[in-house]
Amino acid sequence: MTDARTLDVEVGDDRRAEAMMINMGPQHPSTHGVLRLVLELDGEVIVKADPVIGYLHRGKEKIGEALTWNQYVPYTDRLDYLAPLANNVAYAVACEKLMGLEAPPRAQAIRVICAELARISAHLLGLGAYAMDLGAMTVFLWTFREREAIYSLIERICGARFTTSYTRVGGLERDLPADFPAKLDAFVKEFPGRVDEYEGLLSRNKIWIKRTQGVGVISKEQALQYGLTGPNLRGSGIDFDQRKANPYCGYEQYEFEVPIGSVGDCYDRYMCRVIEMRESARILRQALDTLPAGPVLNRESTDALKSVLPEKEKVLTNMEALIHQFMVTTDSINAPVGETYFGHENPKGELGFFLRSDGGLRADRMRIRAPSFANLQVLREVLPGHMVADVMAILGSIDFVMGECDR
Amino acid sequence: MSTRTLMDHGDPAAGAALHAAFPAVTDAPVTWHGDVTVQVQPAHEAAVIRHAKDKLGFELFVDRFGADRGEDADPRFDVITILTNLQSGKRLHVRTTLPALDPVCPTLVHVFRGADWFEREAWDMYGIRFEGHPDLRRILMPDIFPDFPLRKEYPMEGLGAFAAPRRAIGGNKDATDGHVAIIKSPPAEAAR
Repeated sequence: MTDARTLDVEVGDDRRAEAMMINMGPQHPSTHGVLRLVLELDGEVIVKADPVIGYLHRGKEKIGEALTWNQYVPYTDRLDYLAPLANNVAYAVACEKLMGLEAPPRAQAIRVICAELARISAHLLGLGAYAMDLGAMTVFLWTFREREAIYSLIERICGARFTTSYTRVGGLERDLPADFPAKLDAFVKEFPGRVDEYEGLLSRNKIWIKRTQGVGVISKEQALQYGLTGPNLRGSGIDFDQRKANPYCGYEQYEFEVPIGSVGDCYDRYMCRVIEMRESARILRQALDTLPAGPVLNRESTDALKSVLPEKEKVLTNMEALIHQFMVTTDSINAPVGETYFGHENPKGELGFFLRSDGGLRADRMRIRAPSFANLQVLREVLPGHMVADVMAILGSIDFVMGECDR
Repeated sequence: MSTRTLMDHGDPAAGAALHAAFPAVTDAPVTWHGDVTVQVQPAHEAAVIRHAKDKLGFELFVDRFGADRGEDADPRFDVITILTNLQSGKRLHVRTTLPALDPVCPTLVHVFRGADWFEREAWDMYGIRFEGHPDLRRILMPDIFPDFPLRKEYPMEGLGAFAAPRRAIGGNKDATDGHVAIIKSPPAEAAR
């Protein structure tokens, strides 16, 4: 027997000679969809990372040039498919900005409810999947319990759970059902306690802290250079939220805090999302308490009458409304000539629609500014220097959706 | 009820300041529905955007993308960059216009590193070449894709080997999935 410690083992000087290329994805479970990472490794350490995207490209911007304004709403469901209601709201407000219309107060308040429900449900999935990728199975099951409650609420709003298509230019497809406020009220009462439960599992969990603190640090400068938005930008310590900076849908009436990180690591981004969920519940409570009465489709002016759909119930019983519906659907809306951009604070970041109209019935250019597209680009600067196992932590904390990244 | 409207998200003062700093190469800012757009000559675009970033506080890079004005238009292509001022939250659009033939625009990656992917997308979709870009590859379309799909002349159903199967666009009567045009030689060639 020879003592292993006395063996003279020759260690190569050029460790880079062992550099290995690893192809992670597009079917890796932690890449949540179809992200592919080409990693160059030196042992366990990442030397170079190149995210490859485009596996879910469906030509949404091209399709947008062929459909009328209201026809495009279902396509927005499939952008960030974890928050379809928020996408619907973003698209409708962008169209209204282009046309100089505004939704009535009740529709705006309902849109806020929709956007915040979508934010909670998207963050719940992001948090659950993030924890599961790092080995904490229970969180995933618990967050899905609340997601189920939210999807039941969404089903009450618009009849569908995932593909909502709820908004229309100038308002909403239908009003809330009579029993909805009570159901939402029950959910909002219960929800903060549920967030406490998730935090009880994670926030002071030794393993969770070891896996996330100091890992995947994104500096302020990097965040701005790469155009990060949403919780990823705020996790890096930049106080910027579209709901505060450029209020729309009456967000300025609601009181809520915007959480800011200090280090910019995975833990900060996790904390930002958790606190955002609590704040969203606060907004839901206020929106519910101050929900105005009135129509949910704009009926203010002749212009609005010409371009906004009539109420669906009337269409089924009233001849004038049926003709009105026929006219708006077939002739669509004659948008003015011009171009506008509207940025909505989506769960993942700023979802922007740039609409250029040449006065026709459809967009001349429909640009979708997807937050995940910008957020993923920063990976090639953040990943190098980390271990392979940290990739899952960083991907989970960036919380991306390929549906909107690839469009 | 609502105190602020959607129509004041732009920053007209910053647009005017940008024009004042570069009077020879920019047009006066245009405000439409609250969005402020400054038109700039392609060669000076990066310098103008750097000025907006360093001097006017537009630090957050939001978006950069191409647009097509149609086959007959010349100049035909636009490259639009959207920036946000973090202090005021207001936005600024910077637009540059490129010729129909060989649209080339200097890259912005030296000002905002994040412009990289956005420029790759504009190349992928419109064939706008960004001079000085370190890695101008396709990003969303497959590497072997031959065309620029967001150009106006590119049909919705696709072209050649990338055409949609005919059953997807209505009827597949001859059971060829629409590939008949590739298999058969065109009649004009047959006559010769």
